[in-house]
Amino acid sequence: MKIVIDKDRCRGHARCNALAPELFDLDDLGYAAAGELEVPEGGERAALAGVRGCPERAITTV
Amino acid sequence: MTVAGDPPVEQEPTIRYEDINVPVSAPCAHFDSYDRLREQAPAHFGTALGHEFWLLTRMEDIRAAFQDAATFSSSAVTPYEPDPPYKWIPEMLDPPLHTKWRHLLGPFFAPGAVKRLRPRVEARFEEIMDEIVDRGSCDYVADVALRFPNTIFMELMGLPVSDADRFQRWETAILHAGTSDRDAAYQAMGEVNAYFAELIAERRKSPREDIVSVASTWKIDGEPVTEEDLHALCLLLFMAGLDTVAQQLSYSMYHLANHAEDRRRLVEDPGLFEPAIEEFLRYYAFVSPGRKVTRDVEVAGCPIKAGQMVWLPIASANRDPEEFPDADKVIIDRRDNRHLAFGGGPHRCLGSHLARQELLVGLTGWHRRIPDYRLDPDVPVSEHGGQVGLSNLPLVWEPRA
Repeated sequence: MKIVIDKDRCRGHARCNALAPELFDLDDLGYAAAGELEVPEGGERAALAGVRGCPERAITTV
Repeated sequence: MTVAGDPPVEQEPTIRYEDINVPVSAPCAHFDSYDRLREQAPAHFGTALGHEFWLLTRMEDIRAAFQDAATFSSSAVTPYEPDPPYKWIPEMLDPPLHTKWRHLLGPFFAPGAVKRLRPRVEARFEEIMDEIVDRGSCDYVADVALRFPNTIFMELMGLPVSDADRFQRWETAILHAGTSDRDAAYQAMGEVNAYFAELIAERRKSPREDIVSVASTWKIDGEPVTEEDLHALCLLLFMAGLDTVAQQLSYSMYHLANHAEDRRRLVEDPGLFEPAIEEFLRYYAFVSPGRKVTRDVEVAGCPIKAGQMVWLPIASANRDPEEFPDADKVIIDRRDNRHLAFGGGPHRCLGSHLARQELLVGLTGWHRRIPDYRLDPDVPVSEHGGQVGLSNLPLVWEPRA
């Protein structure tokens, strides 16, 4: 499973990081650090929590 | 029947802002009024002190409005003031200038900075609890909510905490009068500006590390920020920081005072505080910003004209059943809670991380020391309008021996 974060839509709510800190890293200002990440085995549930937690709907799974 | 050459049909207003944004008979009944409006239509055309505005009711359209700053400008944010005589910085700026200010302010409010403040936030809350825990009763709004986030904020800004009461009075005049006393609001803004003028001058002479000191060194596009802009920034930070967390704490405690089962679950499993806080943010969202439309645009089939205001009650978005199953119920362990309590788009609340931390510290700290309490049945709870909030919250409990 791959996660794609639309960095233009990211507004630094940081909910993804709050819900799944092991997956979603933030930069110094609290915005998504990466635009794409590979979800490790067993991390799907946390990944989906992050996806569904974004108020901007900036995160999708591929 | 219209004939070619007739002027376009005028939209008839069906709502008045003055009738919606007022104190209500029962606390929180105000929020239910949006459910009725949303069921009727995705958008309502109305007047706010005579100015044309559209009230949007659905999450989808409110979120889209927040995200499209080019069409929905923040040059005016109050429906009854489409051409305001004031400019709160950076709230009333649009990108790209808005972006530059946010970049400068960001480090003070970033998640890392907020984490570093945590010991101070916890210590401050314990001080407040120490004063009331043995009393057996308090007005939560005056004794706890208004005293906790305010001192943290004042320290962050570099404001002397001894001036907290003055600031609270100014805050009330600016944000709680609604449409009924705009002169008092403008006067208070003037007094806040005068206060900050003096403070800025002092900090320029002897700078510290607080926001006021650092902000006076900022440059935008190579030019130092003006004195006027510094005042506008201080005024905005003051308004954004003093009231909001206090109100959110108060609504959360009002809920828990009225719902013993939710209280019991939280005391038993403090891990539930985090999702509960998100649910209280969703359900008791009291901020309702406006935007000024810059071009003719259609929203949910409704024709909005350039120059009209839109009003975006966050509570209406947050209770939209299209977005949230059982939207009208408080479910303290709700999953997938992507509410808009902190807004969205470029103006997403800068203080959201600090606010969440204060809510967590405040609510866990209270329940650790006073797990069982109730509303004082002899004292009515009242709510104010403008930016809606509780005016008081009388709580009673058995002090521990």
